[in-house]
Amino acid sequence: MSLQMARLGQDGAPVTPDRPVPPSGARRDRQPYQWGSLLLIGPALLLLLALFVGPSVYSFYLGFTNLKLIGPTSLNFQFTGLDNLKTLIHDPTFVGSLGTTGYFVLVSVIGAVVVGMLLALALRTGGRIMRVVAGGVVVVCWMMPAVTAGLAWYATTTANGALAVLLGSPNSDYLAISPLLIVTMANIWGQSGFVMLVFGAGLRNIPNEVLEAAKVENANPWQSFWRITLPAMWPLVTTTVLIVVLLSLGNFSLIYIMTQGGPGTATNILPVYSYQQGFVFQNLAYGALIGDALVVIATIIAVMYVKVSRVKV
Amino acid sequence: MMSNDAGEPIARGHPELLPPRTGRRRDQEVTRKAATISNIVLVLFAVVFVLPLLWLLSASFDSAASWAIKLPHFTFGNYRGALAGGGLDSLWNSLVLAFTAAAVSTVAAVLAAYALVRHRIPWKGPLLLMVLFMTGIPISILVIPVYQIYQNLGWLSILPSAVFLGVTSLPFEIWLLKNYIEALPVDLEEAAKMERAGTLQILRRIVLPLAFPGIAAAAIFGFVNAWGSFIVPLVLISAASQTTGPVTIFNFIAAANFQYGDIAAFSVLYSLPVLVLYVAMSRFFSGGFVLRGGVK
Repeated sequence: MSLQMARLGQDGAPVTPDRPVPPSGARRDRQPYQWGSLLLIGPALLLLLALFVGPSVYSFYLGFTNLKLIGPTSLNFQFTGLDNLKTLIHDPTFVGSLGTTGYFVLVSVIGAVVVGMLLALALRTGGRIMRVVAGGVVVVCWMMPAVTAGLAWYATTTANGALAVLLGSPNSDYLAISPLLIVTMANIWGQSGFVMLVFGAGLRNIPNEVLEAAKVENANPWQSFWRITLPAMWPLVTTTVLIVVLLSLGNFSLIYIMTQGGPGTATNILPVYSYQQGFVFQNLAYGALIGDALVVIATIIAVMYVKVSRVKV
Repeated sequence: MMSNDAGEPIARGHPELLPPRTGRRRDQEVTRKAATISNIVLVLFAVVFVLPLLWLLSASFDSAASWAIKLPHFTFGNYRGALAGGGLDSLWNSLVLAFTAAAVSTVAAVLAAYALVRHRIPWKGPLLLMVLFMTGIPISILVIPVYQIYQNLGWLSILPSAVFLGVTSLPFEIWLLKNYIEALPVDLEEAAKMERAGTLQILRRIVLPLAFPGIAAAAIFGFVNAWGSFIVPLVLISAASQTTGPVTIFNFIAAANFQYGDIAAFSVLYSLPVLVLYVAMSRFFSGGFVLRGGVK
């Protein structure tokens, strides 16, 4: 377009600025609605309504019924008002699970962001071979399916596993001694690669001149990280924190393979407790209500994120 | 820098006016120090991160495998053991599940994303916000209501589960493709419209080839999402003959006569396709920028 206009100008014809089209009947500045769009959007809309939005709403209803997995109320269940909610509030396992989930998510996020950032920074200045090896290993850990990661971590942290041997007491079962810390570390292990890749891309986008300027002003690496790198990366950091929070909040597979929520209730995060209530203790309705609590928590976190980062969609 | 640009003409013949030369040497020292620290950090993390993977690999080739990490008594027997007794079938089931989920979600996502980008849709803003919100919902909360629905319909089997898994990856795929198609130049499509091409023709001849890297990434996401899912096949697939990979690993662990080597070998086989697909995806992404040359 601009090329053509320039040529016209050279030929001597005056280049007139575009004039607004005078209104004549239907608005021309807007594309009309098309029936075709409905056909294109239809499949996705139907699928999401039937198997995502519908079940979410249904789950809130189920949470307030007496539905069981088996037995008479598995077919003829009915609305029971706030009964389940009252049980939930006074359920020590649920309250404990809230704390466990909070610890798991918080420590996971801090761990993954710090490890991911350290790796991303080190990858910039490290030697070539080390970059390929370390980066490759960490990315492979991130790609591992959660079930495989859980199995590998179980082997590494149980009695006679690599961790026990390294710490000099081969018979101690660290997965039994501090289960929550171990599953959290396994989660950090699995998420750091993602954080590293995202932060690595972010670091490449910081203009080199700014960092050079800081060097000229005699800023040490520590100062230039806190004053330049981190502020420039801040939007990326908040988004990454949100993603890691949500991924950790729903990480059923890793914990269920490693500990099934145990020993006792030591690693019983909300999705695990929801599954347990629903399919082990056969209280489908109660399990659904615990799932609803999880949705509410995820929503609060997402809204907080929008407030903090002031994103516009 | 100063000495070359502004400083030199004035300072010519007056070396005492030049800024001290030590600046650059100190710079190099700092850089070398940073490189050393970086290498130490990388070595430490590489060692810590590789330990669990090492166990997986060594145990899978070890005829006397246990939880301990050690040099294997080399054998391929574990891989044979892992594929016998339903192991191969469960990998095949995982393939069917993941492929179906990827196909369902990618087709729906491409069509929807295209319409959302190029057409005028009522409530487009709220719709997109809703889709973005759904990407953050933990999928495990949908399992109980979907179980209840599928149970009533008699659908507790592999294909309905695959469709459900496709839907769980649909919000992210729509978002990904929306961003991808938004970045494509609109000129070719407008030219095609001038030539009176229909929407489907535009989609097939112009959008699909141009957006191919994005579509491939979306499909791989859908595939990996279903391939890795544990809770959905655990709950929504009732027949033992339709068991998928993750559930087989879980059953292996729960079994009374525990075969360390077999589980490790099976887990390696089960994880390999995911690794291969990620490598393929990074190729697609770097190829994606070449295709931008479509409009000059």
